[in-house]
Amino acid sequence: MPEAAGPDICMRISGSSTSHLRIVLILITIAGFIVFLTYIPDIVKLVIISILLAYILAPFANFLESRGMSRPTATVLIFIAIVFAVSLAYMSILPLFAAQISGLQTGFNPAQAGFVISRFEDFLMPYLSFLGIKELNLMGRTQAVMAGAGDWIFNHVLDAASLVTSMILIPFIVFFLLKDGREFKRTFVSLVPNRHFEFTLYLFHKLNAQVGNYLRGQLIDATIVGTMTVFALWVVGVKYFFLIGIFAGLANLIPYFGPIAGAVLALLVSILQTGSLDKVLYVILAFTIIKLLDDVIVQPVVVARSVHMHPLTVLLAVLIGGKLFGILGMLLSVPVVGFLKVVVHESILNYRRYRAA
Amino acid sequence: MNRIWENIFKLRQKASDEIDAILLKIPVFQDLNNRELKKIKRILHQREYRSNEIIFKEGDIGLGMYIILGGEVQIVCGPDNHVLTELCGGDFFGELSLLDDAPRSAAAIAKSPCVMLCFFKPELIDLISRDPQLGCKILFRLAWVIGERLKSTNEQLKEISCLRQQDPISA
Repeated sequence: MPEAAGPDICMRISGSSTSHLRIVLILITIAGFIVFLTYIPDIVKLVIISILLAYILAPFANFLESRGMSRPTATVLIFIAIVFAVSLAYMSILPLFAAQISGLQTGFNPAQAGFVISRFEDFLMPYLSFLGIKELNLMGRTQAVMAGAGDWIFNHVLDAASLVTSMILIPFIVFFLLKDGREFKRTFVSLVPNRHFEFTLYLFHKLNAQVGNYLRGQLIDATIVGTMTVFALWVVGVKYFFLIGIFAGLANLIPYFGPIAGAVLALLVSILQTGSLDKVLYVILAFTIIKLLDDVIVQPVVVARSVHMHPLTVLLAVLIGGKLFGILGMLLSVPVVGFLKVVVHESILNYRRYRAA
Repeated sequence: MNRIWENIFKLRQKASDEIDAILLKIPVFQDLNNRELKKIKRILHQREYRSNEIIFKEGDIGLGMYIILGGEVQIVCGPDNHVLTELCGGDFFGELSLLDDAPRSAAAIAKSPCVMLCFFKPELIDLISRDPQLGCKILFRLAWVIGERLKSTNEQLKEISCLRQQDPISA
């Protein structure tokens, strides 16, 4: 006759079901929280940008603190330096930036560009006739897209209302994250039960270094690639070199697709500008050299820890980021997924190490 | 109304003074002035433990030291929880973990409800980068504490070896 389950086994079973229930509840709460976040995309965007900026600025605040300053003074000093740098950029770079955006709206050399595009259209038409397409009107479409791009930048990036909101809210959030970040961490850790408290701190310590290095590395890499692209396109003589450089630098945050997107844009602009394929070879050469320099010198030195992501993961991240938060979401999606990957990977790794010790 | 505020303020001040008094008795913080002590207090974590609650297990990665503000703690080891020592308010343990990543060599269990201050390695590293002078002071005192422990261990070993020489059979 089988023995009845003892109280110990009963307790173990009830303990295990309680723990499963707790995990399910935690997962439901996390899912609910993510759904809630999708309803407030603008705020999420602001908070993500602020967290990324606070992570990037934290070492400067630490450095100033090590020179004898208090944290609030160090934070204020960093903000004064940023205001100074932005004002300088406003005076020197913004006129060039604005001129290039308005240049986008006025268009390219219509005669030459029209010639190249019509030749391309003539080349394509025989292959598309079986679809019943009689006219592509590529020139009209291209002009509309380029003019639309200028309008889009004016409406979205330089939109006065959202710009003012972001210009006030982002510095506000960054300021307090930078000044009181340690207090926020302490408050969060104080909520963790005694059993997981030490491990949580251990994890924070490990993640802080990894994630900080990753984000700072990405930013420096994007800045270097952007600067190299601006310089290279200026040398080649491509119009809107400044805008394309900024785009290429930001797009470089997206592995695999980013560098190609920057190069394609530069090629398109060079063809429309000259109406010939004269500069195509130089542009391809410039982007190849930049990519080589980035892969061989910049990334190994600057990006302390590269987060390897499968191309499919990158594509999905970009699509989801774009769907939820627009162009900015597409650009930020890869660093955010990289950040989450580092967090999850390090959490699992350190939990195993912590338990195995 | 003012009296209530005054009382609340006095209570907080009293608790803070008590913590200061306990911290200044800990060798690691003995050399610190008021400003430095205030900085240290800002990075300590205060935790409360129920009676019989495990503070840390033997084999866990040690992250730092615990200072007992109130209550009693048992340091135990082995599968049969052999009691190595019992500690009370003003005592501290686990300071070696501030320096190495080795697993805890014994477990700590709250014998009665305890209030503890925890001083952990990540905060110490952060402190060293932010305030190297204060960081050096703490590291120097920490080295002194560990040196004292080493001396005391050497003394104990000497005594054991003397005992062995005098009476090899019973030793």
